[in-house]
Amino acid sequence: MTIKSINGCIGCQECVKSCPCDVIRMEHGKAVIAYPADCQICHLCRMYCPVDAIEMSPEKSIPVIVPWG
Amino acid sequence: MKFSAQTYAILSALAVFVGLPLLFYALGDAPRRTLLKEGISLITLLAFTMMLGQFFLARSNETLLSLFKPLQIQKVHKVIAYSAITIIFVHPVLIVLPRYFEGGIKPWDAFVTLITDFGNPGIVLGLIAWVVMVVLGVTVFFRRKLIPHFKLKYRGWRYFHGGLAVAFTVLALWHSIALGRHTDLAMSVFFIILAILGFAMLAHMYWGVRSPKPKPVSKGATS
Amino acid sequence: MTAPTEKPAPNRREFLALSGATAGAASLGMAAWGQNFVEVDVDAITNTDFATDVLVIGGGMAGLFAAVKAHDAGASTMIVSKGRLGSSGLTPFGKGFFVFDTDVETDTIDDFVDTVSRSALGTSNPAYTRQMAEHSMARAADLREWGYFDQTLSNRPFMKPIEDRDIPLLERVHVTHLIKEDGKIAGAAGFRNDAEETVTIRAKSVILCTGAGGFKPNGFPLGDLTHDGTIMAYEIGAKVTGKEWNDGHMTRSDNPAACYDGWGDMFERVPSTNGVEVHHDLGVDLNYTAYMTGNPVAGGPGAQPSDGDTIEVEGGPQTPEEFQRDFGAPGGDGEGGGPSSGEGGAPGAPPPGFEPSANVGGASAGMAIHKSEGLVPFDDRCASNIAGLYAAGDALGSHMSGGIYTQVGSSLTGSAVQGAIAGEAAAEYAETADTPVIQDVRISEIVDEILAPLRLDAGYGPAWVTQTLQGIMIPNFVLYIKKASMMTAALAYVEELRDHHVPMLRAANMHELRLAHETRNMILSAEMKMRASLMRTESRGSHYRLDYPDMDDVNWRAWINIYQGTDGSMQLEKQPFDTWPT
Repeated sequence: MTIKSINGCIGCQECVKSCPCDVIRMEHGKAVIAYPADCQICHLCRMYCPVDAIEMSPEKSIPVIVPWG
Repeated sequence: MKFSAQTYAILSALAVFVGLPLLFYALGDAPRRTLLKEGISLITLLAFTMMLGQFFLARSNETLLSLFKPLQIQKVHKVIAYSAITIIFVHPVLIVLPRYFEGGIKPWDAFVTLITDFGNPGIVLGLIAWVVMVVLGVTVFFRRKLIPHFKLKYRGWRYFHGGLAVAFTVLALWHSIALGRHTDLAMSVFFIILAILGFAMLAHMYWGVRSPKPKPVSKGATS
Repeated sequence: MTAPTEKPAPNRREFLALSGATAGAASLGMAAWGQNFVEVDVDAITNTDFATDVLVIGGGMAGLFAAVKAHDAGASTMIVSKGRLGSSGLTPFGKGFFVFDTDVETDTIDDFVDTVSRSALGTSNPAYTRQMAEHSMARAADLREWGYFDQTLSNRPFMKPIEDRDIPLLERVHVTHLIKEDGKIAGAAGFRNDAEETVTIRAKSVILCTGAGGFKPNGFPLGDLTHDGTIMAYEIGAKVTGKEWNDGHMTRSDNPAACYDGWGDMFERVPSTNGVEVHHDLGVDLNYTAYMTGNPVAGGPGAQPSDGDTIEVEGGPQTPEEFQRDFGAPGGDGEGGGPSSGEGGAPGAPPPGFEPSANVGGASAGMAIHKSEGLVPFDDRCASNIAGLYAAGDALGSHMSGGIYTQVGSSLTGSAVQGAIAGEAAAEYAETADTPVIQDVRISEIVDEILAPLRLDAGYGPAWVTQTLQGIMIPNFVLYIKKASMMTAALAYVEELRDHHVPMLRAANMHELRLAHETRNMILSAEMKMRASLMRTESRGSHYRLDYPDMDDVNWRAWINIYQGTDGSMQLEKQPFDTWPT
């Protein structure tokens, strides 16, 4: 699940802004993982979060296409 | 093994104010991070339950007064309160401190983002609660000088102190439920129950006195 | 399902889609196939109009300097970025910034330019290589002043000069169109991610700092780069180059998509500078090893790092002898003994993603070498063939490094240097240019094009089309180990996507609208990549043809430029090395 969970969000929107792939959106004042399939697992959201609320996982949520297996 | 009533009281207090928050922390969904970060989370959580515990370490707690000397209670109340206030006082900084040891946002930038997030009610409540807590701490420290200025002297001080404590608790509780990493449903309900019980005991002491029942507990706990 | 819309007469394609959807719903008693459950009220979408002298599109290293220098040259300047300043594209992830420090380097800049050219096998443009080296110290000094070398994340240091100068900044606005009027650039248009709003910006001059792109591959932080700038410019007549080159980064076979994890701690590092260190980092040589031997390959793809012995495979892409390095020898790589930096500043050689123990190829599939693909420069000041349109950084096909990785850390430096030069050139142009006039009817035409995927009642989900494109383009035997038969076949698939699927890309909300436009750009980019790779009947640098394994200096000392013909078809032409186009 790429960006995995957000715990203790303070609603500052840093992650929403810093996500290159528009994965995170605000809902009722909190950041939510709106489009996990588009996460590129770059950790920018986690690094920009002032309260370290974001938990990452190395697993992509959709099948991964590579040139050879 | 047989416990004395005092030991029993101490053990049950520890179970409620340390055991339960640790249990809810352990059962919670929030992912575990480094030892430092989890340590900071834990002492902040415990500091807050300790603050809630102050309602039970006061003259409002009749059971406790029947078991311990008021001076003993008062001393414990004081030690715990000052420690808890210290931790809560610095907890916004503690949250960003681990960033000093890793890549990512600089601690100071994180701190500024954090405390200027005025669009978020949770942050605003937290800031107000923090100020109330500082007032609480400062007034306690200078209480001897302050008490004579209250109209009702000591009783007035008690209203003031209890009132601030209630205000702080409401604001801080709201803040922690809105924003806390570990305040899931179980932890929130636990906090709310503690707070309501504490408020009820306080209310009982202030407004329940007028009940015809004679109160035997007015003998100590002056300060 | 919603009733067929108020649109007067659905065209044939829409009609077929609608009737198909209805039949599906009727026979299966379920939601119609391909139905677009639009979440926004498309008719309520408003347009906001801005005006500026110089418009900078993109918020990375090139965009930063373009805006700062255009502003400092006296032009009213505006930045528009799909993401956040310093937190989009590849800029956040590069950690090495090359500087040519004349006090430290023993060789001259002339020597450096020659070395790069030798490693690049003639594919580099010496004017841009030299310029990058000459201005590197000045740009590093600017960045140092803004605090860039003091922290991991770039947003705050990048914001400093922008806030000091009060340069307007539109973030999270996805630009989809460049506007040309009377043969000159007139502005750009796009939409907001966070609001149901389109945006038009009238500008005397536009600088594309939109980066390069890929096919949203796995294992490289390229998910937001889909060659948007290149495609927008191509569609208004700009020439595009460098599409046949291949970036050869690899990723791990374990969770290949996890680019943070694959790059060690690099993304958390604080940027630093490094000196001259010219490589010939192929990457594609490992693709060849995997192709010839299957996988896992000992010491190569799919294998754990062994004790230094890599499998020897006959043929394949070759590194010139002068630039061969022994990746097995621990720590003994640079002559100076200092830690050498990989691409983006990772210490030790080879750069991350090029080492034999990296397991799976195609991390950056769809991306060429930094600065090799993009708009064809018509001079050494980042001008395109369209008056007023400039490009800088990875959006400009400057061939600063050539069609192969050469100088370590030069990608960030090149973006900074070119951004600054383009900013000044654009400001100079804007000084004498007339304020563009764009007819309202043209604006509403463009807005309709932007919003088209939201208006479809049924169609193809952009995520699915992207995955299909990945399946066509990313295989080793299509994109990396090239031969005519496979590329012709892949091209047929790509044309199918272009002709049938692009018009039917649907979007239910602003996020999907972005995906739809990105998918379209990737498809056109794939077509460019296949056509250019087919045309270059030789192997050189990162371009490897199984059916033309040798370098052909007689016919191919030339770059390939792509442009749109008068009939709308893709045209290709040669431009000899060491010449400017006319």
